[in-house]
Amino acid sequence: VSCSMAGEEGFFLEEKRFKQYCEDFVKHSQQIGDGWEWRTSKDLGDGYLSKTHFQVRNRHIPPDLKEKNNDNSEQMLFAHVEEPSDDSQAAGVCSTEEVVRYEYHVLYSSSYQVPVLYFRACFLDGRPLTLDEIWGSVHASYQARLQEGPWDTITQQEHPILGQPFFVLHPCRTNEFISAVLRGSQEHHRNTNYITLWLSTVGPVVGLDLPLSYAKLAPEQSTDAAV
Amino acid sequence: MTDDKDVLRDVWFGRIPTCFTLYQDEITEREAEPYYLLLPRISYLTLVTDKVKKHFQKVMRQEEVSEIWFEYEGTPLKWHYPIGLLFDLHASNTALPWSITVHFKNFPEKDLLHCHSKDVIEAHFMACIKEADALKHKSQVINEMQKKDHKQLWMGLQNDKFEQFWAINRKLMEYPPEDNGFRYIPFRIYQATTERPFIQKLFRPIASGGHLHTLGDLLKDVCPSAITPE
Repeated sequence: VSCSMAGEEGFFLEEKRFKQYCEDFVKHSQQIGDGWEWRTSKDLGDGYLSKTHFQVRNRHIPPDLKEKNNDNSEQMLFAHVEEPSDDSQAAGVCSTEEVVRYEYHVLYSSSYQVPVLYFRACFLDGRPLTLDEIWGSVHASYQARLQEGPWDTITQQEHPILGQPFFVLHPCRTNEFISAVLRGSQEHHRNTNYITLWLSTVGPVVGLDLPLSYAKLAPEQSTDAAV
Repeated sequence: MTDDKDVLRDVWFGRIPTCFTLYQDEITEREAEPYYLLLPRISYLTLVTDKVKKHFQKVMRQEEVSEIWFEYEGTPLKWHYPIGLLFDLHASNTALPWSITVHFKNFPEKDLLHCHSKDVIEAHFMACIKEADALKHKSQVINEMQKKDHKQLWMGLQNDKFEQFWAINRKLMEYPPEDNGFRYIPFRIYQATTERPFIQKLFRPIASGGHLHTLGDLLKDVCPSAITPE
């Protein structure tokens, strides 16, 4: 990992590096059919990673049990909707299961020099999820942190490139945990994709998982000149 | 900054005379009169329109009222932009008072952020302050402040208290005498014609040659289309 470390400030990601890690990340995603793509903005040439997937949201089942089904890289859980467990759910709309369309974007923050996760979710009829519904679907392990200060963690913000409302996982805390992990990484495995590391940590908070094969991802030899 | 106190006061006390009219399709029990208000340029719509809300809710039934939102000539107004910015962006070429339409139904989910309480406005405002300080001082000044200082900044804005606000903000506007300015200058360039809400990039106050950058230098660098003739 190439980074500029300034004493205790931690690891900062330069924009060029961010783009390179994203490019490598997308290459791997394409190899395994994980659905990530890079979108370039027409006016200024900056861009972001994007992925859309569908998830079944179970109101009456604790979040932990849902996670078991996210192992396959496809992330499409239509099977759950199309194969109801008993006849009473066969006809009409299931009240206990709803399909939610999640859209995830990874943008670069030049102010904090870290990647930032933007996401939005809506039901199939187009109704967007509210912030409360988003908070409610946050993984149980993270609920305690959220209770302390919800305004610090996930808030609704304007997407800096598209100008539409998205939910955002706040970047100012990213450095805290990334620094700790990357320090170890730099000592033992010089080649770590920052995006893989970061996304595998923050993604699960909001229902986004990375297949394990991403862990094998290393920057191309020719692009990672110095550590 | 002390030399600029007059300028700071003029900026703080800038006002826009505004006429609020209820959207014609809202269901009312009797005719709704327009409501006139001087809006502070540096504040936010949802922070300063409690009286507007009360005025129109008086002629409506409870069940017809959900989250308030504002619109100008068909364009939903983003409450999270400062009022002065909204006016300059959408209505600066039209005659005063600024005519804003008030809605209580059909909140435009795809265009506007929700604003269910004053806490949301405070969180947004503080996030902007923090991001600016990340650029100016690597967040050192804002992080060294206590929670009560952050609160004072917000209360100063909310209650229109110039001195209270600047007692804290002046620290955010200082830099060590040995430096020639902030690390980077916090700026955003808004254009009504673009899908992108604003242009924001890292920009140093000093050029590599050592001279101070001007606003013209900034525009040439990040938004040349704004100054080159068509």
